[in-house]
Parts: sequence; C-alpha cells; structure tokens
Amino acid sequence: MTLFRLKPLLAATAICAALVTPVATYAEDLVIGQTFLASGLDPAEGSNGWAVVSHGIAEQLFQVSRDGEVVPNLAASAVQNADSSWLVELAADRFFSDGTPVTAAAVAEALNRTGAANPSARATAGRMVFSAVDEDTLRVDTEQPTSILPSILAEWAFPVYRLEGEEIIFTGPFAVEAFEPGGSIEMVPNAHYAGAADRPNVTLRRIGDGQSLALAFASGEVDMAFHLPVETLPMLAGIEGEAKSFPVAYQYMMWMNTRAGALADVRVRRAIDLVVNRADLVTAVQAGVPATGAFARSYPFAATEDLPHDPEEAGALLDAAGWQLGEDGMRRRDGVALELVLYAFPQRPDLLTFQPVLRGALAEIGISVRTQVTENPNDVATRGAFDLLLWAQHTAPAGDPGQFLSLFFETGAARNYTGWSNADYDALIAELRAESDPQARIALARDAQEMIAAQAPVSFLVTPEWHVGLSPALAGYEPWGSDYYVIRPDLRVAE
Amino acid sequence: MSATQTLQDIGRLALSWLAVCAAAFVLLRLMPGDPVEVFLAHVNIQSGPDIAAEYRAQWGLDRSIGAQFLRWLLGFVTLDWGVSFETGRSVAAEFSARLPYSMAIGFGGMALAVCLGFMLGFYAAHRHGGWADRGSRLLAVAGQTLPAFAVGLVLLWVLGVQLRWINAFGGGALERILLPTLLVAFFSIGSIARLTRAGFMEVKTSPYYRTALAKGRSEIAALWHHGFAAGGLTLIAGLAPELAWIVGGTATAEIVFGVPGLSERVVQAVNQRDYAVLQPYIALVAIWIMLVLNGGRMLRKFWDPRLV
Repeated sequence: MTLFRLKPLLAATAICAALVTPVATYAEDLVIGQTFLASGLDPAEGSNGWAVVSHGIAEQLFQVSRDGEVVPNLAASAVQNADSSWLVELAADRFFSDGTPVTAAAVAEALNRTGAANPSARATAGRMVFSAVDEDTLRVDTEQPTSILPSILAEWAFPVYRLEGEEIIFTGPFAVEAFEPGGSIEMVPNAHYAGAADRPNVTLRRIGDGQSLALAFASGEVDMAFHLPVETLPMLAGIEGEAKSFPVAYQYMMWMNTRAGALADVRVRRAIDLVVNRADLVTAVQAGVPATGAFARSYPFAATEDLPHDPEEAGALLDAAGWQLGEDGMRRRDGVALELVLYAFPQRPDLLTFQPVLRGALAEIGISVRTQVTENPNDVATRGAFDLLLWAQHTAPAGDPGQFLSLFFETGAARNYTGWSNADYDALIAELRAESDPQARIALARDAQEMIAAQAPVSFLVTPEWHVGLSPALAGYEPWGSDYYVIRPDLRVAE
Repeated sequence: MSATQTLQDIGRLALSWLAVCAAAFVLLRLMPGDPVEVFLAHVNIQSGPDIAAEYRAQWGLDRSIGAQFLRWLLGFVTLDWGVSFETGRSVAAEFSARLPYSMAIGFGGMALAVCLGFMLGFYAAHRHGGWADRGSRLLAVAGQTLPAFAVGLVLLWVLGVQLRWINAFGGGALERILLPTLLVAFFSIGSIARLTRAGFMEVKTSPYYRTALAKGRSEIAALWHHGFAAGGLTLIAGLAPELAWIVGGTATAEIVFGVPGLSERVVQAVNQRDYAVLQPYIALVAIWIMLVLNGGRMLRKFWDPRLV
C-alpha cells in the first residue's frame, strides 16, 4: 500500500528532475550577473551607448583609463585646428565584428546619426558634425568651441557602430549573438578583435536585486556578480571565489546652501567641514575611503591632501562668527539657535546612513541638525530648499574635471545648487575651459578644489567602493572604471 | 439582457475606464520627481537647462497636460503607445516581450493556488480541526504576514544555494519561472483554501447534505457532491479581485528571481518616472480589472441564476 502511494510521488519527482537542467559548474563559458542591462543596442536611443560600452560590445574613439586619463582607443590621436575644429586620426587595423574596417566615413555616419537623435550627445559641446577627410581621418566641428574633444568623445554617448540594415554592428571585444531586453545578452568573442581566441563566450544576465545577485553568485550560477550590496559580503565569505572591492567615482558630498542664514557665513561652513570625520562615515557604510576633494583619488587631477578633521578649530570659527556655546551645548547668536536641516535621499542608502553620523558630529560643536529624507533630491537642490543636502555624483565620467567644476560651482551655473559665487573661482574656471594642455588642466583643477575647500560651499565626504563577486574562473580579473567598463578585452578564463 | 442595456453597460465601462486613465494621468504628474531630471541624474549627464529642454520636447512634456492626455489617448486607442523615456524602445514592443513572463507566473501561480487551495479547503471543511484545517489557517496567516521578498530569497537560498536543485537564473524557461510561480502560489493558497472551506462549510449545515448522509452516502462523497457548487461559487467571488491584480502583482517574484517580466519593468518605470510606460500599463490594468470583475459576475450568474 505504501509502495503504491509512493509510486506517483516518485514519478512526479522524476519528471521535475528531468525538467530542470543540471546545476551549473564553472566552465570556459562565463555567466556574468549584473543589476543593469542594456535596454537596447542602438546608441542613438536612451542610455544604450553607456550600456553597450560597459558590456564590452562597443568602443569609443577615446576612453578613460584605469588611471583616470583620457586615452585613445579607436582613435590614434586628435589635434585642434586653428579654426577650433579638430582632426581625429583613426587607429590602424581596427574592425567591426563583421570584419569591415573602421573607416572615417563609417564613424562619421554613426556619430552624426547619434548626435541628431540623442540629446545626451549634445550635452557638452553642443551639436558636433563629423566628416571624413580621408579613409583614416575625421574632421569634427563643434557647435561650442572646446579644448577637450578627446574627453567629450570618451563620454558614453559616442560609441562607434555601423548600421547594416536593421542590425547594428560594433567594434568591441565581444559581439552580440542573442539579446533579450531586460533579461540577458549572449555574447561571443569578436573574431576580428585582437586576442579573440583567448576570450570565452559570455552570457550577461540581468538580476536586478542585489540580494538575489549575491545568492546567484553563492549558488555558482554566475562567475561575476556586479555589484553586490555590502551587507551580503559576510554571507559570501565561505564560498568558492572572492569578493573584490574597488573605488568608484560617484563621490559622496554635502552641499551647503550659501544663499542666506548661518551658512552664508564662510566661517560656519568651514566649521562644518572641519568637524566632519570622514573616517567615521567610511566605518558607518563599511566601504570606501575618505574623500580628498571633488574627485576619486585615481584621477590625476584629484586633490592629494587629506581633508582636515579639527573640531577645536571648528569651534573657534563658530566663536569668531558670533555663535556662542550655551550651557545647554547649543550655539546661539542674538538668542537664535544654530539649527540646520540635513536632507538625504533613499536612492543612495549610504547617504541615509551618513545622516545620524553627521548629526552627531555637528552636535559636538553645538549645531542642532534635523534630518529629513526626500524622494526628489533634484527638486530640493534646484529650488535651493535646504540647508545641507547629501549628494552622490560621478564627478568625472569622461575623465575631465572641467565639467563638474564648472557646472556645479561657477556663478549662476545650471547646477550651482548652493548659490555660491566667487569671482576668483569663475576666472580660474574660465582659464581651465580655455586650457588644452593636460598637465596645466590638472594644476588648475587642483587649484579650483583648494578654492572650494577654503570657501566650503560643499563638503566632500567619501569616495565609495563597490563590491564584485568573482568565481575562480575569473580569478585575477580586476574591476575598475565604476560601471563604465565592466567587461573589457582582458576578460579571460583563469587557468 | 436587452441590446440597449448591453450598450449602456459598455458605455458605462468605457466612461469609467476613461476616468481612471485621466485620473492616473494627472496623479502620475503630481508624483514628486521630474522624469527629465531623474533620467539625466541616472545616466550621469552633466548638462545645462538646454539639454533638459530638448528631452522635455522630445518626450512631449513641453505641452499642456490636456494636450499631452489627448495625444496619449489617441495614440493608445490607435495602438501607438509611444516610446519609453528611459530606454527609447517602443512601449508596445516592450510590453509584448515581457507580458508572457508575467502571465505565465501570474496565471501559473494562481492556477496552482486554486487547485491546491480548493482541495485543501475541501479537506479543511471535511475534517474540522484536522490537518488541512490547521494547515490552511497557517498558510492564510503566513500569506498575510510574511514578506514576499524574504520568502523568495529563502526559496533561492534553500533550493538554489544549499540544495542546488535548481538554476533559478540560468536554466530554461520553465526552470526560470518555476520558483516565481511557486512564490505567487504560496501567497494565495491559504486565502483560497479558507474561502473554499467557507463555501463547503455552509453546505454542511444544509438539509440536503444531511439527507444525503441519511441515505447512506459517506461524509466526504456527500460534501463533494453537494458542496462543489457552493465552494466553487464562493471561490469565484473571492478570486475575481485577486485575479484583477494578477497583472502587476508578480513584481516581487520577478525582481527576486530576475525574470524580465512586465511587472518588474513597471517598478523600474516608477523609479524612473517613465510616464510613457506607466500610463499605458495603467490603462491596460483598468481594462483587465473590468473584464475580470464583470466576467466573474457573469460566471456566477451563469452557475447560479438565482444570483442577481
């Protein structure tokens, strides 16, 4: 009787076992899990350009190196003409994945198409017109004069491609074999890219939730998990493979509204900047390094000195500004308490973690802080409806410091959220804008950061770290470049 | 039902749908967060107001809200649903690619829940206080109290990581929707079982059930024979609202198990303030809810004409 009842159960189990495929083992074909995936392959649409470069499918004329420098990729060089136009020389022996050589005419056709359709391609220098001078030389005319065309061409909006009917063909180390939007991309090595024989087939799979991604890595279903929430790392400690952490350029900072009230006084802003203990912030979020300025330390134009932490000096500055410490531990001036509102937004959970740490630090010098959370930080920032506002920003996505230092700090600039205005700074940025020599630009960018630190319209806090799970098959692969270059030509199966 | 009344019903439904769409259109725009600013921040474009204005014009957000609504409505009824702000892809194409996943998970999960829940409810009514009764109560409470996200992660941990019975992310289509379907079913079995039980229990107090027992039929046979219709009717009444939310109700399962379904896409669209995706989705869900609720009512009337 018991056996009779067991038979259907065993049959059902056997059917279920037959329906599921065998559990994955590490093989020469790699599976990469990411929390994001290209929603399409046409760089003229949405943010596809960013995704196809990040996935190793496409390349730009220039790219940002691991050291944060703009270096040639499909281009060999770029020189500016006397009339402000540019000539870009293409690198030799570069091919699309169908074997067609990369020519100036093909590049011009693609980038003109993208420029016409995608406003993001017009963000830095306005509309750019590309024309082929000869087979290997490209002329670029920009709507707004620029001294940093290579950096602009390293922006995500400018991958090179070729249209073959409806199909889009790229030049990256991997070519798309099959694409399920929102789900996965099957990629094979681009046979016309140097070193193709050493590269594996790659399945790129989107797993939107970080916790699920960590479990997929723990189960051995993915060879790379990009990127993992910090709280999942202890769970992965015992499994095969490793979790690597690397700094990313999405700097955490705190805007200070300089328009009115206590924060209009530079001494109060400096005091706040001095009382911030960046090491405590790093401890609170369990990852990252204290910021030295506007840029992650990997960039050549990053500030090199640690930002000071000096509560005593902070107290002295507040005394000098007339904010006296009362018996209740609160600072007051003319009977008015020094109270500030600190905003953060939940889209960046680390910023919420910072709030109580900062509130505690400011309380030490007698500043009362009320913390608030907003779902709409852009609106709060644009309206200037804050005292202190925690923020996350990739400050040099194309390997150049000029855009961030200008757009967020120049007098009246579109994203000058703090309302800060300084004529010397404006003059310095004008000089930076005109300067084309890389070394001179580095020096100017550092000067600009020193001016910002002295006036403190912002307090740069932490350069965060992201965490990537790598199976033994990818031992030795080094993640870098934030989420801009996740899959690169050096992706190989470890021996 | 006369033709006039049918036309009146259809007209009433169409007006309701229009009102829902219009209200949703306004409410979406009242949500905090400008889609252009959200997009620019998301893709890390450092630009001035001119680029934002270009996107606003490209996405039709520079027109009055009335003009935007009329344009959307005309597009929707002519099946031109526009393109997603975020991806630039055709919304209709995105929906058609993703809907099969959501439907498979939603309907698969609900079908499983109905089959298991109905039988569990029947046995719960048959043996008051027995294992089925206690089990169904436990499942109903669990379905109401446990967070779906956590249950999904536990399923992954046990079946995928510890036992390694299943490739939740990399397997074939069936394997990929198996766990999400189980998750959806898990959260409905208990409530369906309790609903069904209530229908069967009502029959147990009826004279015809007692007569059947007096005639010598076994308890279980009499309950099944005489209670099936009552249990089914109760289930349909309770199931219609659950089915109404099946499109979109599978978001948690899709997110946890990385299934590229429609519900997961809608969650992304909410985060991105992608009105172009949200508006047709709401319009479709409104149509679906009307169909399900009215379909359920008609089915019950068909099954038991005494119901008005």
